[in-house]
Amino acid sequence: MKFFFRILCLLFFLSISFSGSLMAEDKSSDTLDLDFEIPEVEKKPYSFNAKFEISETIKGFDEDSLLFHQRYPNGRDNETFYQTEFDLKVEGSYQVSIVKLYARLNGDFYYNKEEDWVNDSRTEEAYVSLLPAPSITLDAGKKVLKWGKGYAWNPAAFFSRSKDIEDPDTTLEGYYVVTGDLIKSMDGVLKTIALTPVILPVSRHINDEWGTEREIVWGGKIYFFAFDTDLDIMFLSGEEVEDRFGVDFSKNISVNFEIHGEAAIVLDYVKYITDKQGNLTEKEYDAKSYLLGIRYLTSHDTTYIFEYFKNGQGYTSDEMKDYFTFIEDGYQEYISSQSMAKLSKSREYGSQFYNKQTVMKDYLYLKVSQKEPFDILYFTPSVTCLYNINDKSGSIMPQIIYTPITNLELELRATFLLGKDYTEFGEKLNDYKVYAAVKYYF
Amino acid sequence: MKKILLVIFICLFAAAPAFALDGNEMLKKVDRNLNPESYEMYRKLMDIEPDGSKKEFVMYAVKKGKEKMASVFLSPASEKGRSTLRIGENMWLYIPNVGKPIRITSLQSVTGGVFNNSDIMRLDYSAEYNCEKVEATDKGHILHLKAKTNTVAYDRIKMWVYGKSLLPDKTECFASSGMLIKTLYFKKVKDFGGGIVRPAVIETDSPLYKGYKSIMIFAKMKAKDLPDEVFTLNYMPKVESLR
Repeated sequence: MKFFFRILCLLFFLSISFSGSLMAEDKSSDTLDLDFEIPEVEKKPYSFNAKFEISETIKGFDEDSLLFHQRYPNGRDNETFYQTEFDLKVEGSYQVSIVKLYARLNGDFYYNKEEDWVNDSRTEEAYVSLLPAPSITLDAGKKVLKWGKGYAWNPAAFFSRSKDIEDPDTTLEGYYVVTGDLIKSMDGVLKTIALTPVILPVSRHINDEWGTEREIVWGGKIYFFAFDTDLDIMFLSGEEVEDRFGVDFSKNISVNFEIHGEAAIVLDYVKYITDKQGNLTEKEYDAKSYLLGIRYLTSHDTTYIFEYFKNGQGYTSDEMKDYFTFIEDGYQEYISSQSMAKLSKSREYGSQFYNKQTVMKDYLYLKVSQKEPFDILYFTPSVTCLYNINDKSGSIMPQIIYTPITNLELELRATFLLGKDYTEFGEKLNDYKVYAAVKYYF
Repeated sequence: MKKILLVIFICLFAAAPAFALDGNEMLKKVDRNLNPESYEMYRKLMDIEPDGSKKEFVMYAVKKGKEKMASVFLSPASEKGRSTLRIGENMWLYIPNVGKPIRITSLQSVTGGVFNNSDIMRLDYSAEYNCEKVEATDKGHILHLKAKTNTVAYDRIKMWVYGKSLLPDKTECFASSGMLIKTLYFKKVKDFGGGIVRPAVIETDSPLYKGYKSIMIFAKMKAKDLPDEVFTLNYMPKVESLR
């Protein structure tokens, strides 16, 4: 049944891929009815939008990797992992006078052999806005605040969750905040100045990712637009969280060339480091992170996004080697004595500190996308390379996105991980991952 | 003899700038005939493929003064809520999923198709171009425009203007290499009310996209006074609330 379903999904994906042009509306330009009545002109107080996605994810395990041994010390029956997923994202808004309500809900229903059917639903955003004037806005509720100018990383995004490096554009879940905008536009060199204050309450019931003690985390961002350059200065402060300060900028150098940068410092950041024996130590220091990037469009419609990221909170090669050695020792101990003590401890360290995306110090990111090659309209292939400078491991991700008809998007993405033993990408759970999705917007 | 030479010299010296001024004045009149300096409007963009199939986008746009423009997509569903902002040659795109504005370039296209961002978020021609030469034709004039800076999408534009109405009929857009990038055709002159009488349709084709065509249909254009704060990054997610 499941196998049949997967085949069905694949066929649906392929059939739509190749029949796109047939399904498109057939209307000659000479016979176009250039009607001047546009129904969307009629303004309604409410709006409703949704995206339905069916996807299949295939992961090929690297059975020799340390993270595989950490998670599956007894091995697995299948080398390959399949997951079928149905995802519905609904967003709606309702505005009466200066009051606007907005919500975005995500319902995810997926199947894999290990977990069977799982339902994972969440409210990504839900807030009320007061819009008394274009220069003043007040928002209260669950809201995503994405700060920073980086494409793949945002060290200065103090009030948001980390991006998925494989899909940096995907929606995130917000935090409960009270925020707003105060905007002032001027003539002269400084054209705009905008202030965005943020208050984030923390308790056991809301924003508990920030701590369990009741407290108020507060911060803000000041935006300047001057000399054709965007500039932001931001900060965050709280009793239980480390104070942090950041700055970012972006500027168009020419009609097809943009540069951007971002820097952040987290004061008294505490990094937890394990040694080869599994002894955890704390290292406190001011963690300085920064990012420099460009976006360049060629005359052949090829877009290059290139970024260098210095992760001040990241681990060095030696620190990661100690962690990997600890896993290896734990695995050998399990093989020889069936004791899970070390391996369980390494799992704990992994879930809290180590087994995360881009966890080391220095990275390069390059995405090359080509708009509509070979005259295939609405077709965008791309390749993304992520390189860990410290241990010379990385990943390559080819991707194709095709929108054969309005509101229907097809995506096929593969990720291949490359690296030697005791390197970040060489020791990941998977060797490769393939993701195929059909997305429909309505 | 000296007097005659002096008169000829003065005439020649004075004639050149006067002629250039006429061209620039004419260009400013073309701008005002196309739209008020500050306005709101709706637009339907259509990308038509060689086989006749098409994609449509509907946008709401506002413009203020010489260098500020903002717009938001109303349809299709996959694009709804995306907004764009232009201040001079600076352009940004806000995608609700991404959640923050990103800088884009004038040569890209937020919709795909033949229209690029510079066409979709067009400012006054006189804000970006100087008229270097005016050529008289049977129907009107041809204005030869040169970009004021190298950050403008087209280096040169050749604009055919109707004599009486001072409305454009056709423009040819050239790269700095002299290559023709695209041709815009202004069609179906319509009375929008409030004294705005202008072409309601702009059609474009390009030797770079053989067989493809893009069309822009204008609706409900009217003068509107807007605060400057509307044209800022912070306001991009809220542009639709201006409707």
